Amino acid sequence: MSKFSHAILVATVSFFLSSSIFAVEGDANRGRIKAETCLGCHGIASYTNAYPTYNVPKVGGQHEEYIISALQAYRAGSRPHGTMQANAISLTDQDIADIAVYFSTYGK
Amino acid sequence: MKSRFNIAMSVMLLVSAPLMAGGDPMKGKEKAAVCAGCHGQDGNSTIGANPRLAGQYESYLYQALLQYKNGERQNPLMQGMVANLTEDDLKDLAAWFSSQGAGNQLLVMPDSISVSVSFKETDCNLLKRSL
Repeated sequence: MSKFSHAILVATVSFFLSSSIFAVEGDANRGRIKAETCLGCHGIASYTNAYPTYNVPKVGGQHEEYIISALQAYRAGSRPHGTMQANAISLTDQDIADIAVYFSTYGK
Repeated sequence: MKSRFNIAMSVMLLVSAPLMAGGDPMKGKEKAAVCAGCHGQDGNSTIGANPRLAGQYESYLYQALLQYKNGERQNPLMQGMVANLTEDDLKDLAAWFSSQGAGNQLLVMPDSISVSVSFKETDCNLLKRSL
């Protein structure tokens, strides 16, 4: 395989790999509005989950890609947590992308 | 009456116990060497797919590790990592990463003003209906 066609193959594969998680482009301003529900728990310092008791995780500055994959997993039901699944089930890919950008860019 | 108070105190202690996961961060440091490859030395990973851990709540990190260990949370890589760790190991790791990333830690999002306003409006509507 020539160097050039190899480069094209690498570029194509990496494009599809990256496009699978960043299918839509997020917008922090839209995300700020869509994330209001989230802040009922994630916006209160030291707020706790009940049964079992542990602190609701901090999401400010968390990686965009990780938040997208977490919300997708809750929406698909593959990551357990009743409240998060219930909240994620109605989110579109666009909603998830917007919320992820808002959280990941917070404080930067 | 006194025994009722004692029972109440015991229940409160039991309920709050998981929040005081009580890991040893220095023991966690030694055990965290293998984590650093993906999550960064101080828990600030540079790879988008791997969550930042620096400054995350200790009790949440412990909960996440516990869920990987008991299979509630599915991730082949993480499940493999915790398979041979004890619950004390998980507590120590949680304590370590929770204490890391000075000056560059995860943040609690601010509670927005409009959230409290919308709650108030709902309260008013409920009140109007009940009158």
